[in-house]
Amino acid sequence: MPILDKLPRAIEDQLTEEPLFHAVSDLMKDGQFGQQWLVLTEQEVSVWGTDGELVLKLAVSYITEVRAVGGVGGGSLLADTPSGPIILIRYTASLTSIFGFASKLIGAVAKGEERPTVSEKELPRNCPKCRNPLPDGSQACPVCKSNSRVLSRMLSYAKPYKMQMLAAVIMLIFTTLVELIPPFLTKMMVDDVLTPMNMGSTLLWIVIGLAATSLMITLMQTVRGMIGVWIGSKIMGDLRHDVYQSLMKLSLSFFDRRQSSQFIGRVNNDSEAMRQFMTDGVVWVTGEALRVIVIFVIMFNLDWKLTLLAMLPMPFMIVLSSVLWPMIGRRWYQQWRSIFRLNALVGDSLQGIRVVKAFGQENTEMSRYSVANKDLVRNNIRIEGLWQGIFPVFALVAGVGTLLTWYYGGSKVLGGEISTGTLIAMVTYLGMLLGPLQWVSQMINWASHALSAADRVFEIMDTPSDVPDTANPTELGRVKGDVEFKQVTYGYEKHHPVLKNVNLKVAAGEMIGLVGHSGAGKSTFINMICRFYDSDEGTITIDGTDIRNISQRDLRKQIGVVLQETFLFDGTIAENIAYSKPDATKLEIMRAAKIANAHDFIVQLPDGYDTRVGERGHKLSGGEKQRVAIARAIIHDPRILILDEATASVDTVTERQIQEAISRLVKGRTTFAIAHRLSTLRNADRLVVLERGKIIEVGTHEELLTAKGAYFKLVEAQKEMSKIKGVENA
Amino acid sequence: MSVINGIIDELDVKDPYEIHILEPSMVSFSRSQGGVFQGVIEGKTFEELILYRIFPFQYTTQYISVRNSKGEELGVVLDIDQLDEESRTEIDNELKFRYFLPLVTRIDSIKQKADLWIWELQTNLGPTRIVMRNLHEHMQYPSANRIILTDINGKRCEIRDWTSLDGHSRSQLKDAL
Repeated sequence: MPILDKLPRAIEDQLTEEPLFHAVSDLMKDGQFGQQWLVLTEQEVSVWGTDGELVLKLAVSYITEVRAVGGVGGGSLLADTPSGPIILIRYTASLTSIFGFASKLIGAVAKGEERPTVSEKELPRNCPKCRNPLPDGSQACPVCKSNSRVLSRMLSYAKPYKMQMLAAVIMLIFTTLVELIPPFLTKMMVDDVLTPMNMGSTLLWIVIGLAATSLMITLMQTVRGMIGVWIGSKIMGDLRHDVYQSLMKLSLSFFDRRQSSQFIGRVNNDSEAMRQFMTDGVVWVTGEALRVIVIFVIMFNLDWKLTLLAMLPMPFMIVLSSVLWPMIGRRWYQQWRSIFRLNALVGDSLQGIRVVKAFGQENTEMSRYSVANKDLVRNNIRIEGLWQGIFPVFALVAGVGTLLTWYYGGSKVLGGEISTGTLIAMVTYLGMLLGPLQWVSQMINWASHALSAADRVFEIMDTPSDVPDTANPTELGRVKGDVEFKQVTYGYEKHHPVLKNVNLKVAAGEMIGLVGHSGAGKSTFINMICRFYDSDEGTITIDGTDIRNISQRDLRKQIGVVLQETFLFDGTIAENIAYSKPDATKLEIMRAAKIANAHDFIVQLPDGYDTRVGERGHKLSGGEKQRVAIARAIIHDPRILILDEATASVDTVTERQIQEAISRLVKGRTTFAIAHRLSTLRNADRLVVLERGKIIEVGTHEELLTAKGAYFKLVEAQKEMSKIKGVENA
Repeated sequence: MSVINGIIDELDVKDPYEIHILEPSMVSFSRSQGGVFQGVIEGKTFEELILYRIFPFQYTTQYISVRNSKGEELGVVLDIDQLDEESRTEIDNELKFRYFLPLVTRIDSIKQKADLWIWELQTNLGPTRIVMRNLHEHMQYPSANRIILTDINGKRCEIRDWTSLDGHSRSQLKDAL
């Protein structure tokens, strides 16, 4: 049995038996932070302080049941005994899983049942070195790893284009060198032509040289720029592609917790920031660094003392940059968060625009927006203001160097130590140095912006799917459609299970109606079959194969879904029907529509099967959409069919049409159907009644009616309702 | 209307759609030998009771839903201050156990390492560490100066009023935010 932390000697020495299991909690009984140890042996359960003092001891035979009672942010382990429940140990939410396991194990030992084995999922996943949580599915601790990881990972995107990058860099080096020629020519002009007043052919040659260099520079800059744009667009495309791909691969539970509008910004803006850094940024850094070095070499050759003097303010500039770096990074993140909030707000209220209008809350929304907007404006001013402030300060500091050069260089010229040309060249070079040094701070800006963008982008890419595919999935082929739930427990929040210990065996071709109050776990039940989420405990099998061992592609091929909220994609009706089978023939599409009772209404549309639907297209009614969705499921030809309130939002006539279509669809397929109107489940082979996540009744409509249990009550309640409705209608 | 109400009162039928307020005099709470929260509600003894804060952010000691071990609501205590001494102490303790939310007394440091934000904190329940993937998804601002921090694993801490923290903590917080 894997045991996480070693039991302290002080406790181990006092045990009379070999422990079966132990775990350390992070809370004391009184709710203070601190450590206590839970130890289970064959005979007893005990709780100890770290220094070996016994807190509590209980004979296993005295325990009837053990429960992990979840609170908010923490929980406690509770043992039921003949003299009432007893609290064993308390813990924070970080340890919920391991103590959940402890409760099952102790319970099993106490009741003499089969003992569960601890799974990877139940152990707290912390880095053994720094105690910080590890990312799921990896043993590499991100904190203990080096910080340059993000940077190198980002740069790896440039790898496929290294030839082009190399070309750009070579061209850059060349341009840089060529750019350094003009000041030298100026020096020659001053010293050899202007000062001696020597009007020979030299002047012409120098001017031609100047013209040639500027022509060269222009040409190379153009070519280099074009290469840059090309590489940039390519990298950007790759990045966006990867982010979107990882988004699509993420499990539903990732999206449950987040507003979807935020991702639009992430996919586009963050990859743009990264691109800017990689193409403009990297190229610039290489070029400017090179330029700085070459300028220094030239200046030292011209006059090393004067160069040293001119360099006096440089250390100051470097210190300034290193102070500003972290500050800028934080403000960028802040500004990003403001934009993020603003986007989320807009996305939210536009999606719910009907509700906003219906309740007349436009003004509230506007004022919510303006608060977030003001916040963004403030943060914008803060970051941009800081930014604008930096440039002049840098210029001023660098200017000190120029002043010093003018003064001491000037006096040297007067003293005849150096030529006028040399002084002019020095000042020009110094001016050229100021550029790159300012760019250092722009570079800081780019780099920190890009790094934080990269952080967020990689966060999406690194988020592991909650429902990972196994390495060696079992090939399913065409399944029969046997589905079995074995002791399945699942909660969207781990400590709050929505399905509890569900057992159900469904034969191939059977139609199961799921019944229960809202919140009873019907939709969760269905989500589990589709494997939108993985069960916390227990297994679900299809034809005897655990669905976790089936690749998701393969699994979804077997499952067809018709949901209450029908979503049609932007495209024609024909495309929507053939969504899962793009190579479907026109005849297949028509047949599917015919079975779905949709063919007739589609043909009568002015654009027939080519009618555009979806966000920008033709408005279909709820019932029409539903039938298109059924056709989509029919062409998919799944072995297992899921109908989630497929007829909830339509009138009675349409319902009948849909019902007909569905009854043709379910033939020969294992079907799970949820419906509010119990009458629609009359055809079901068996009805499963769920209450608070547990199956409380299973049987046919008639069986359950005669049993007069929960189902009977539900039916009676609906009869009442329809009577009232009847009165209303009359 | 009054007639109907009168009849209902006479029959003493609980309207299932009415919030049942527990009279302070009709309830008492205590703790069992085994440390479990229990009590007597309107004459009936329960050996295990579960408490829920109805407005966990707005009211910590008011509007408390009292439920049996099955989770069915027995009633709502409007304000625990109206209860007798023992009941009040126990209900207060139980709420603190169930809603594990240490109060931050000092922020030792906030560091960003790799893609994690690591907060080293001192709380009223002892020192602890909170680890977040990012700031925008793990921080909540229920009111102007109040901040709720949530750990990757769901552990939570509360900063009741960040303006009343000491200078060091405030500057740490300001740097991060």
